[in-house]
Formats: sequence, C-alpha cells, structure tokens
Amino acid sequence: MRISAVLKFLLCLLLFAGAQAGIAASVTVFAAASLTDSLAKIAAQYEREIHDKIVFNFAGSSLLARQIEEGAPADIFFSADEAQMDRLQNKRLIRAETRQSRLSNLLVIIVAADSSLAIATPRDLTKASVVRIALADPQAVPAGVYAREFLTKENLWNVIEPKVVPTANVRGALAAVESGDVEAAIVYKTDAAISKKVKIAFEVPRADGPKISYPMAVLKDAPEPAAAKRFLQYLNAPAAGKIFAEFGFIVRDAGL
Amino acid sequence: MKLLLRNISLRLADFVLKVNVELASQVTAIVGPSGAGKTSLLDLIAGLRLPQSALIQLEERVLTDTARGLFLPPRLREIGYVPQDLALFPHLPVRKNLLYGCKTAPPCGSLFSYEHVAAVLEIEPLAGRSVTRISGGEKQRVALARALLTSPRLLLLDEPLAGLDAALKARIIPYLARVRDEFQVPMLFVSHDRQEVQALCDEVVELERGQIRSEANQKA
Amino acid sequence: MSQEWQIVWFTVWVSALSTVLILPGGLAAAWLLARHEWPGKSLVETLVTLPLVMPPVATGLILLKVLGRRGVLGGFFHDTFHLDIAFTWRAVLAAQAVMSFPLLVRSARTAFAEVNPRFEQIARTLGAGEWRVFFSITVPLAWRGIIAGMILAFARALGEFGATIMVAGNIPGKTATLSLSIYESVQLGHDAAAFRLLGISVALAFAAVWSGEWLMSRRRGLHETAS
Repeated sequence: MRISAVLKFLLCLLLFAGAQAGIAASVTVFAAASLTDSLAKIAAQYEREIHDKIVFNFAGSSLLARQIEEGAPADIFFSADEAQMDRLQNKRLIRAETRQSRLSNLLVIIVAADSSLAIATPRDLTKASVVRIALADPQAVPAGVYAREFLTKENLWNVIEPKVVPTANVRGALAAVESGDVEAAIVYKTDAAISKKVKIAFEVPRADGPKISYPMAVLKDAPEPAAAKRFLQYLNAPAAGKIFAEFGFIVRDAGL
Repeated sequence: MKLLLRNISLRLADFVLKVNVELASQVTAIVGPSGAGKTSLLDLIAGLRLPQSALIQLEERVLTDTARGLFLPPRLREIGYVPQDLALFPHLPVRKNLLYGCKTAPPCGSLFSYEHVAAVLEIEPLAGRSVTRISGGEKQRVALARALLTSPRLLLLDEPLAGLDAALKARIIPYLARVRDEFQVPMLFVSHDRQEVQALCDEVVELERGQIRSEANQKA
Repeated sequence: MSQEWQIVWFTVWVSALSTVLILPGGLAAAWLLARHEWPGKSLVETLVTLPLVMPPVATGLILLKVLGRRGVLGGFFHDTFHLDIAFTWRAVLAAQAVMSFPLLVRSARTAFAEVNPRFEQIARTLGAGEWRVFFSITVPLAWRGIIAGMILAFARALGEFGATIMVAGNIPGKTATLSLSIYESVQLGHDAAAFRLLGISVALAFAAVWSGEWLMSRRRGLHETAS
C-alpha cells in the first residue's frame, strides 16, 4: 500500500519535471572576464522578459576554450579575441553560422588611484620606478595578448617583459593594482571604469592599438541550442547594445 | 648520610602517600608490597615528581620545600637513580650510556674514575656493545655504573633484584655490596622482598599503602 | 626542455628550503603539544591544524593580505628593506612553509609522545639540562617520526598549488613551480609539456616517499625497548 503511494508520488514528480523542461531553459554562457558586469545586467533584463535562465562562467578566454575542448557543457562562448574562437572553430566545436562579433574595447594603462607615479606614455613603463606590471597572462589570455602585441609594436616589450606579473585574467590584473602589489597594469578601458581604486594613466588610441574584437557563437554540442540562439539574438539587439555602450564597450551595430 | 623526608604528602591513584621520617643509615631499604608507593617515593627524592607537600633534605641541602616554594631540579640534586626498568638509552652504546652523566672531559673522575667503576662492576668488556645486546645481569651493572659515574651523594635503586633468577641475584648482590664498601655512597633500595636485601642494609623501612608501618635499625 | 628543468630545480630547492626552515618551529610546537598541558593549548593545536583543513586558496588569500605590499608583514619589508614578498620566490617559500607545517608537527608530535618519559627523567638525574635532554635523548628516540614528518612536509611543498598561485602568482622564471606549470600548460593546450611535467612530479613524489621508507627500514628494531 505504502509502496504504491510512493511510486505514484515519484511518477508525478517525473511528469512535473518533464513539463518544467519545456517551460524554461537554462542557457550556460562561457564569457570573458571583462564582460562580467555588462553581461550580468543584460541577463537580468533578459530573464525578466523571456523567463529562460542564464548561467555564466566568467574567466580568461583561453581557460574557457580549454574547458570547452575538454567537453564542458556550455551553450555559448563569448570570447575576448578571435584567436580563442578560431581555436574552437578549427576543432569543429562551434556552430560557425552563429559566429558574429559586435564589440570592441580599448586598452588602458592604469595605476592605483592614489599613485604618485608619473606615467603619461607607454614608454614611462620602462622607468625604474615601475617595478612590476600586471597583465592577464600574455601567453594566452586575450587582454594580455593584446597588451603584448601593442608593446611589441612600440618596441617596448623586451624591456617590459621582465617586469610582468601574469594574472589568470584581466580582472586579476585590475585587483593587483588595487591592492598595491604592482605599480601599473594594462587592462581594458571597461575594466578601469568599474573600479574606484584605480585611475587611467594612458589610453591607447584606437588607431594605435590592436584590433580588439569579442566574437560570440553557439557551441556545436550545446545542451539548449534553441534557447541559446534566442539569447545570442538578444545579445546582438539594440537593447543589449545600449547596455554594453553604458559600460564603455565600443559597439558596432549592423543596423545603427 | 642524613635524609629528611618530612611531611610528605603525594596523592596517588588509590591512596595518599604520607611519609614523615628521618633516615640516617648508610644503606636503607624500603620494603613493602607492590603498589605501596615505593617508586613514587624514590621519584620524589630524585625530583622527578612534585608532591602536594614535602620537605626533602639531603645533608644540608634542601631538595624540595613546598612551604617555601623551593624545588631543586633533578639535574642539580646529585642523586643517582637506577629505575626498575633500568632505562638504558637504546640509541647509545654502553660506553656512551656510562659517560652520559660525566661532568669532566677525561672520563669522569671527581669521585670515582671510569676505570675504577668499570673494574669494580666488571663491565669494561661491554663498552662498545649496543645495550640491546647484553644480558639482563650486565644491564643491571651498566645502569648501576652509569649512576655511580656522576659521583652522586645518594644512590636510589628501584627493585634492583626484581625479575632476576636466584643465580643472577646471587651474582648481583656482591656487586651491590662492593658499591657499598668500595665507593661508600649512601644507598636507598626499594624491594618487595625483605629477605634479599637484609644482608646489605643497615635499616629497613616498611611501607604499605603509602604509610610507614615500621622502621627497624639492624645495626643498632 | 631546459626551461622545464629550471622549473623542476626551482621547485625542489624551494621545497627543500621550506622544509628546513619549518624544522625548528615545527619541532618546538610538536614538543610543546606532546609533553605539556598549558592554558591556550587547544587554541594553538587548532591554529596549527588549520592550513591542513582550510581550502588552500583561502590560506593563500590570507597570506596575500599579510605579505602583500599593503599587508602587515609585506608592507614592513617593502618600506624598510625595499623587499617584496608577494609575487616573488619568497612568497612561494611562505606558501609552502605554511601549508606543510601541520604535517611536520603532527608526525613529530606523535613521535615525541611515544618516547618513554622515563628516559628523559633519568637523563635529568644524570645531570642533563632541558636542551641536552631534548637533543641527546628525545630527538634521537623520535627520529623516525620526525623524518617521516619532514618527508611528508617536503612532498606537500613540492605539490603546493592553491596558496602559491594566490600569493606568488605564476611568473615564468620567478615563481613558476611544477604544479603551476602543469596547470599553465594544460590551459595553453601544451599537452605534451603538461604530461612531461606530470611525469616528473610523480617521479619526485615517488622518490621522496621511497627514500623515506628505506631510511626508516634500515634502522628498524634498534630502538624497541629499554631492557
């Protein structure tokens, strides 16, 4: 008697769960660390309108790409450079037809808000008073790779490289300046904007800097492909574009 | 030898050790059944335990005086101790064990030289051996010699004959007699067998459940 | 390839240095905890065990706050001696020392507790002061547990990751340890290098534990009973 009641209960639970699956999907987005604040705001708005749930994993794009290569169950990859997206495309891990990029960014040199160091140009980073410079790992993480490209172009990389403290992602470089453990860092302008403990010492003009691009795509093995495409469309729509611009990203809109 | 054991009170597992006696003989035995508190009494005299109250004085030197808050640490008491389990240091060879307590650089020599002690107790041939590779009787003699070589003012021996067969006992007793006669160091034996220490001692004190039952001076 | 050997060499010598540096404090703590009762003992016991049970990155974060340029210790060294601790090899040393300390203390404490106090007492009656008793009686009789503790500590230091990455970062040529490099190689997709380093880690850990076992089995049976 008791057993059949339990079985009926379990059956109901199963049906209920099955029904729920059809109602609201959960979309997992692996996104570059520099997108943390903007995407959080966009997702909140999206969830109010569409009732799908958006789950984020923010980290350096290179680590995320590796995790996807190892089979991490993600729906969307939102990278901070084309190289990491190419890496996945070459391994046929993305749905190439969904790949697009609308965001760009600027590099800035930051110092602590109360710093008295006189840094007005990239060359000033070679001064002896600048002992340590934090960069997101220049070997792999986009922010660091962009910074290295820029410094190499300015013929400063060889002198600056010994001073580099690599961090796991661009927010780590930001934190290092905030805590005072490094004299300066190179991060995105959008990162400098969210912190009150740092100030921008130099902004790399768009024309001089590397071509920063944030491609996004739905992954081939996405658990929720339909819901993922919906969210991707939203990310490319005007409403999201406004929020990105709010945070300081350069938004290239097809229609605007 | 004058050993004052005044107002000693030590809480033990089942009873309180209460001793109030003055020992003036050269060789004294404390006899009693096992668990009477004999070893604890030796520990107090050697300074290895702190009693609730006591005045322990050897000759003119105050060793423990709880009333005045005085306590002389064991290393300064110049009292040799041969415990029941001998406690020969297993990681040192016999020679190093013997020389452990020697204060002067050329082996000992303030009162008894190494050569003299080794000869009297016949342990010279054992010098290089490991303490785990010598016989029970040899261990006894080594432990005895080790304590002697510190030139003690008093020698405490806890059950020196326990666990030895009759033949071995018969062989050890003469050595103890030699220590008494040759080195003239005052000795305090503990034994559960009155008979075996009878011949060696001047005075016998009976201890039972922490209390002194009788004192008998044999050479009076 | 030579860069890999540089990483191995760096990891081994900093781990060895860390093990040597924690020895005096570790033995002192072990002895105090083994032999005596004193007010505040439980607190010290808990503090000593903390790095063993806390998440390593949490310990690393605490170290970063203390050893960073604005930290209590880091600030002092930076302002007074112009010496940085966080993000240098000294931070690697600190992380390893803190994380492996409890292992040494636990092993040594058990070893000290197993030394028959009678030996120490008799040594005192033979005229030895406390330091002499400790070094000539207690330590030699406890050496097996002490060595085991040192080997555990060394192996733990070799493999330290969570605290190290927090307080020292993974700076090529300056703070890159074996475990940090394995992590980095995996991230970059350099699988061959990752597996080489992995193989070296396993070999090192194996060698450390094996030599410890050998050391101790050689002298087995020598220290059993007194009589």
